[in-house]
This record gives sequence, C-alpha cells and structure tokens, in this order.
Amino acid sequence: MKALINAEVAIQAAVSAAQSYADIVTDRDPDDGEHVVPGELRRFLARLRLLHGVPFSYLVPDAKLLPIESIRFFYIDRAWTDALVQGALSVGTISSADRTQLEAVYPHIRAEVDEAERSIRQPKGEELLKAGSGTITGFILRSRAVSGWPNLHVRAYSRDVVADDALTTAAESDPSRMKVLRMERLAPAVLLVLFDGVPAVVHIEEPRQGIQFGVRIDPDGPPNERRVKVRDCNTGNPVPPEKAFTPTNSVPVPFRPNAPGVLNMAALRTRLATKAPNSGGTLEPNEYALQMLRFPFRQVFGDPDNQTESERFYALDEFKAKVALTTWKSTVATSLAKVNP
Amino acid sequence: MPTTGHFILHSNVMPPITAGRYELVTEQVDLPFDVEPEHTHVQIAAPRYTMPTDQILSSFPPANAEGAFGDRLPQIVLKRRTLPWERDPAGQVQPSETPWLALVVVAEGEATLSTATAVRDCVTAGTKLLDPDDKDVEQGLYLAVTETVVKKIFPCKDDLPLLAHVREVDVNDTELANGDDDGWLAVVLANRLPVFDDAAGKAVRYMACLVNLEGQLEALPPPLPPVASFEFALAQDWRALASVAPGGGPDVHVLGNAQLGNVVLPAAAGLQGQRPPGAAGAAFAVAGAAQAKPVVSIDGAAKMDQPSVSKQWSSATQQVAAVALDPDAKRLVRDTMAQGFRLPIEAYAIEKVLRFPVLAHWSFTTNEGATFEKLMQELDIGLLGSVAEAPPNTPAAGARPEVVQTGHIGLGHRTRRGDPVQAWYRGPCVPFPTARDSNSKDEPLALAHSADQLRRVIPDGREDLALAAAFEIGRLLALSQLSVVSALLRFRGEQFGAGRVREVLSQLLPFELPSLKGERVDMGRFVALEVLNVLSKNTDRMIGPRRPVADPGRPLRVSGDLDQVIATGLGFDLAALRKRADAVGVLSALEQTSVPVALKPGQAPNEKLVVSALQAALQGELQRTLGVAAPAVPGVVPGVVIRGARGRAATPPPDALDALIAGAPADDDEEDRP
Repeated sequence: MKALINAEVAIQAAVSAAQSYADIVTDRDPDDGEHVVPGELRRFLARLRLLHGVPFSYLVPDAKLLPIESIRFFYIDRAWTDALVQGALSVGTISSADRTQLEAVYPHIRAEVDEAERSIRQPKGEELLKAGSGTITGFILRSRAVSGWPNLHVRAYSRDVVADDALTTAAESDPSRMKVLRMERLAPAVLLVLFDGVPAVVHIEEPRQGIQFGVRIDPDGPPNERRVKVRDCNTGNPVPPEKAFTPTNSVPVPFRPNAPGVLNMAALRTRLATKAPNSGGTLEPNEYALQMLRFPFRQVFGDPDNQTESERFYALDEFKAKVALTTWKSTVATSLAKVNP
Repeated sequence: MPTTGHFILHSNVMPPITAGRYELVTEQVDLPFDVEPEHTHVQIAAPRYTMPTDQILSSFPPANAEGAFGDRLPQIVLKRRTLPWERDPAGQVQPSETPWLALVVVAEGEATLSTATAVRDCVTAGTKLLDPDDKDVEQGLYLAVTETVVKKIFPCKDDLPLLAHVREVDVNDTELANGDDDGWLAVVLANRLPVFDDAAGKAVRYMACLVNLEGQLEALPPPLPPVASFEFALAQDWRALASVAPGGGPDVHVLGNAQLGNVVLPAAAGLQGQRPPGAAGAAFAVAGAAQAKPVVSIDGAAKMDQPSVSKQWSSATQQVAAVALDPDAKRLVRDTMAQGFRLPIEAYAIEKVLRFPVLAHWSFTTNEGATFEKLMQELDIGLLGSVAEAPPNTPAAGARPEVVQTGHIGLGHRTRRGDPVQAWYRGPCVPFPTARDSNSKDEPLALAHSADQLRRVIPDGREDLALAAAFEIGRLLALSQLSVVSALLRFRGEQFGAGRVREVLSQLLPFELPSLKGERVDMGRFVALEVLNVLSKNTDRMIGPRRPVADPGRPLRVSGDLDQVIATGLGFDLAALRKRADAVGVLSALEQTSVPVALKPGQAPNEKLVVSALQAALQGELQRTLGVAAPAVPGVVPGVVIRGARGRAATPPPDALDALIAGAPADDDEEDRP
C-alpha cells in the first residue's frame, strides 16, 4: 500500500477530479430536489438570465429604440444571456484546473439554470414548472400608462382562447397561458415583461384594484355631457349595441346646476330605473352600482382579428458569422494581395 | 362564495346595533326570592374621527396619482362590511340605511383640511352628537367648507344610500379581493366626477375626504332639478388666500394691514348682491354681517374686521402643538399631500363655515384626457431594434442611430490601442428568434473564460461586441455581490475538492471507496462498516487468538480415597457398603443403605434450629454488606453498627452548630403554650 502523496499522485487526482466529478450533487433540497449547483447560486444565475440588475443601457442601447409612448416586443437572445452567465461564472477561475472543472460542470449549470429561471417568479397557488425553458420573449412598455396605473395586469396566451372582452382570465397554469417570467417596472414609466414562450396574444389590462364606477363620454356627443350604459338588472349584461350610444342603451347623466361634475344621483337612479331591463321600476343601491360599473380596459396585442399592420419576423439570425475567422483572414489577405501586389 | 372573476353586489350590510355604549340589564324572574338585576356595560367600538389604515383596502384614484380620472367616480374600499352603517347620521340608536360616511371630493381652493385638532372641535359648533364622549382618537382632522360649497358639492341626503354598497368577492382572486380576509368589502363612492379644467386647459388637483356626517344631515343640500351638462368651475375659489397668507403670517392679520392687493375673495352665493362692489377688495371677514362696514378704523376700540387676535394666535399655537405632538412621519406625508388644501378659509369667510370630521383623505390630480384606453391605443408598437424610418422631408434633427435589420446598433468603441472606431452592439432583446448554440449538438458547449473569447469580427470588418459586453457585465454583476463570489468559490471547492480528495484516497487506500455520484454517503456508517470489514478479514492480527468455547473448572482438592470422602460426607459406613456391594452389587448396596437426614419427609422442621440458622445467616450477610458499605471505624461498638448512621454522627467532636441546637429551647413547648 502506498502511503505517500507525491506531486504525481496529486496532479493525477486533480486532473481526474476536474473531469469526472462534475455531476456530484451538492444541493439536496427537500422541496426543490437534487441539484448539482447550490440553490443560492442557481437562483442568482437564473435572475441574471432574466436580466435582473443588467443596466438598462445594455438592454436598450439607444433611446431612439424606445421612443416615448411606445411598446417594443422582442425575443431574448439566449446566446447573450448565456454569455452573461459565463461572465458571472468566470469569477474566481484562476488556474487551468479551475477552468477545466468549470468546463466539465458547465452543461449541468446551464441545464439547471434553464429550469430555475422559470421558478424565479412564482405566484402564490400556481404550479412550479419543472422542465427547462425554450424561447423567451417579452416587451418593454414605455408609457404614461405604466406610471399612472401601477400594477397593470399583463397576460400572454399561446392561443387566442380568451375573448378580448372576457371578464375572467385563464389561470396561469392553463396550458394556453404563458407564464410570466419577469414583470418589473425598471423606471416609473418603463415596464419590462418576459414571457416563457412565444405568445400569440398579449393582454394588458387596467389594474382591477377595486372595480370602479363611472360614466362614459359619447364621442359623438357634446364634450360636457356624459352618458351611462344600461345593463340588464338580472344578468349584468349590457344592452346592445355594444359600442354606440343610443337612447335605448344609455341615459344622459344628470348634473347638479352650478356644481362642476357633481352628479344628481337620485335623478340618475330614476333615469336608469326606467331604462334598465328587469329593474322593476326602481333600483336598489346594489342594482344602481351594477349600472355604474366600469370594467377595466384591456388592450389586446397580436390578435389577428384586430391587427392591421403585420410585423415582419425573420426566421433565423442571418447575421451570425458563418465564416471561420482564419478563413476570413486568409480571404482578406488574398484580396489585399490582389489590390497591392 | 362567488366564483373566480365574479363578484356579488349587496345594497348594504346592516349591523345589528350601532356603535356606542350600551347597558345590558339581566333580570331573573319566577324565583321565590328577589334577585338584583345585573348591569353590564358594553361598548361597541367603531371608527368615528379617523379610519384605521388597516381598514382601508384601496382607493381610486390612487393617492398622489395623476391621470385622466374625469370619467370615474372616486371611491374608497373598506374592509369591514358594516362600517358605513355602524352609526346613524341622524343620531338615532337604531341602524339606518343611510350611511354615516360620505366621500367628498373637493378641488384645490374649495375647502380647508385642518391640521390635527381635538375631536370636539372637529364638528361644526353646535352639532349635537349622540354620545360626544365616544371618540376613537383624541385628535382628528376636519374639513372646513363654506355653506356655499356644501350646497354645491356635498351629496344630498337621498343620495347617501346610493353611494355606499357592499361587494362580495372571491377571496382567492387576489385581483379582486386584493388582500382582504373574508371577501366582503364596503365601498363608499363620491358623487362628483373629478373633471378636468377644459376651459383653462389646466390639470386640477382634487382631494377626496371620507367625512363623518353625524348630526349634520340637515346641512346637506336639497335636491335640485338636474341639468344635462356641466362647466368646469370651482365651487368657490379661495386660492387667493394662498397668495395672501404667506406674507406676514399671523402678525399681519393681527395688525390689520394685510396687503391683499387685488385679491378678491369669494362671497357667499346668497350674499353676492348685497355687498357694495367697492368693498370687495378690502372688506373681508365681516363675520356674519350682510352689510359692509367701514374698514379703516383709527379708533383702536372699534370692532376689528380681522379675525380676533386670540383666534389667530390660538390656532397657530394649536397647530404648532399638534405638529410637535405628532409622533409619526406618515402624518407628515399626509400633510404634504394636503398642501393646497390648507387655506385659512375659516378666518376669512363671511358665511358660515361648516366642519366635517375627516376619517381619511388623499389627493390626486386630473390631467388632460390621457385615459388608459387612449394611452394604450396610441402606443407605438414595434419590435425592439427597429427604428421608424424618418419621413423623407423632415430635417435631420436628431441623428438616427445606426441600426441594421438584425437589431445591431453601431456604437462608438475605443480600442485598447486608443483608436476611436465604431463597433456593433446588440442587447439581449432582439427582433427575431436566434439560435442559442452555434455549434452542432455533438460538440461540447462553448464556454468562454474571458470576454475576449466572445469578440467577433463580422464580414464588414467591424467588431461585434454584443456577447463580450454581456460577458463583462455578467462578471461585474457577480463580482458586485460578495455572497455570489463566495457561493461560487464554495461550490467549486465543494465539488472539485471532494473529487480531488477521493482521487487521492483511492490511490492510497486498498479498499473500494463509495461512489460520490449516487446517494449521499453517511461517513460514520461507511467507516464503521469498512472497519468491521477489515477486522473480519484478518482477525488473528487485529484481534488476537480465539477464546476457547468453555473454560476448565477449578481443580477440586480431594485428599484421600474418593469413596471415603463421599461416604463421610453423606454420613454412612463405607466398609459396610463395600461388604454389601460385594454380595449384591454396588447399585443395590447403595439403594439399601439409608442416609441419615435431619428432617424426615413430612416432619415439621425444628423452629429453634431454623430461626437461629436464619438469624446467623442474616447477621453474617448484614455484617458483610456493612463492612463493604461503611468500613469499620475504630472505636465503634460492633453491636451499634446496625444503626450505623447515628452511631457515626456522634463520633466527631461537637461543633458550634451542635452547641446551638443543644442550647435552643424546644420548639414544641412554645407552640403548645396557649
């Protein structure tokens, strides 16, 4: 039996250790399963993948790419985010042994971070997605709507299953609904949202914090008058037609004289009671509230029915370097030689 | 429980009794004797002068928000469903369907929000409250509004039941419930649309106040015939006071020469015509008087047109005292939000000024018609990395960034040699899907160790620095967090270190090491098993020779003939036995020989003999035990050893404690004494 550790033994051990122990499980979390990469590191790298902490000028290098009052959709370049993670991993690799070991373990890191980036944002009551992710898409919204309406609801669907004016939404775990990987206000008026996949339809909805009550302005009517659309007292459905204001489906709002914007509630109630179907001639406070409900507004992006301009999509990155550097160098050298013999 | 995405509207939820103090009288009847009735005092607590923040779920428009809120009625959502009906605004004990809370929206310049004031001063003087001592806080806020404003903007009495209702939502649908506990919410609406000032094109700042209407229902306006449209105008404009007040502070008011300049203060609606026009510029604060009085007074004894000195100074000191007492900063924030609603209307108004306790208030600004709908529909939609083509005839005002179809943008780049060149850069957000790995699947994943490995030169001769920049910023982001750096090093050390130790050991140790890849290795168990394994393989060297199955017994020392010894022991005659054995055989001879025994079968043992034998055995055992437990002390009488403890205690010479015990009189005697 050898009882001596000499340089040869040590270097052999280091070499084989660097190459053959890349898949040692170091993190055993009863909730999260077994992982090669420790949880804190995995979560940091996943957050990095979702561009947490990346300066905004790296995301949008020129302000003209994101004008005021605009929304810009994008795909996430996975090569870019991989380079980001590789940069983070390069910290502290001092010797060749470190780098050999990092190369051996990198496939595990990449696979596990792929999985972890889908569980960074985990809404309560939603299932944890276990598999690695594919394409990540998203948008940046720069608008006063972001600053003025905090807590916008953003939903993305892989299929256009939810009606544009549907009151409810599909649950986040619904197969047709895309998981939101990250939704964050980067600045008071800039919202960054990342989706897990390529959505067909994106809904941006006014915050629902307390459904509000209000009146409508008839676009064709005088600017100082308001109208209220009438709803059926039994079902809550609006009286058709949906868009236009007619004497049958809406009532003019009575105001108090000499008082700007003060509604004459009692008179409005009488007017609504006479118009609303199934009101029984009078409106209880709850029926009155039903008439005055204004549901949140929902903007639908990507629905082919209401999309007039088609966006151009490129199938693949045609700009990627296809010629090896050495080949290209020799080509340049030969053409230079032709020019300057 | 409503289903997700739905909610149920209820007109109201009545509490069984209103808030206040009650006396519970319990009487027992039908008893043969009289029982005094029991009086229990119960207080039903409810907010009265301030709304606890945990009862406020949300408000619309959001506090301090700016937006086009002109078409939505402001509202406040309260968590307890019975809150708006827990008091009766008319002062009755019975609950009524008229809520005691109203949400009043005032524009800047129409009303005054007070600073913290004792609650008894928070209502209009002379208002009769049901139980004035029932107060949830000592100091509250009040809204001071002139009668004119009340008539214009406050809800009518008939409107009140319409302005409060209850919603029942699915508590799990956080979008609707938003953090409520039981899913029942009370909503109080305002009756006024916070409209935008179209005529002047200015944003208008509004404050929504949740006011307590108790005892002041009569002050609310009567219903007026409705009109179809409205014009923006303040109900009453006191903003002029903002330009007056800062000048000299209370001193100027006291001395009576406030420079009002051209400031015209609003008059009461009903009194407009009775004021001489010339007096409008200077005559103000003629308390309760319809006719104009001479303003300039040389005589100091004449009645001052200014508010009285004591009134002004006391309000100033009260304010200072209130602010000084104010412990929490959130009040200061709310005070800042109330800026513009702090005009000293009460000191100047000619007409009666009413006070309403404010339970909650927030301000917001209505600006020009940028509704959510309009904003969203006017968004410029596109893919990131695309820049709209400039119209051909526009002058090149802003240089268009150098953007190509792939989303790359040309940026200035200074090389390491210092040459200013243009390089390509593209962020992580690209306008089309890109391939993740340029290599084919068989090759190992490309891993860069430094940013330079990711610099690319593209066919046009310029460098593409996108990935190199990503690598660098990733490295810097990791370095900026020490915990991440240490986690990286620890991870590397744990994995690589464990592997290296195992490799070294596997070359040194003769036995198979456990696999690191499978289940977690229990080190203690592994070592124990391994030790047992090695021990069992060569027991002779490790443990020593085997122990025999049985030990030989102690050799018996027998002197003389064995038969003789046995016969003597059993007490029979050996010679006689042998003689008989010769004749009939040994076994028969033994059968025929009788062995003398002490007790015959069935005979009672001799008691004297047994007891003495037992006593001797007992005494001997006792002596032996005591000898082990307490070695014999010289001087102790052996007979006393049985009561060993006392015997030994007597041995040491008496000390001070013994003397004390001996000298003390017996306690028992004293107690027995009557």
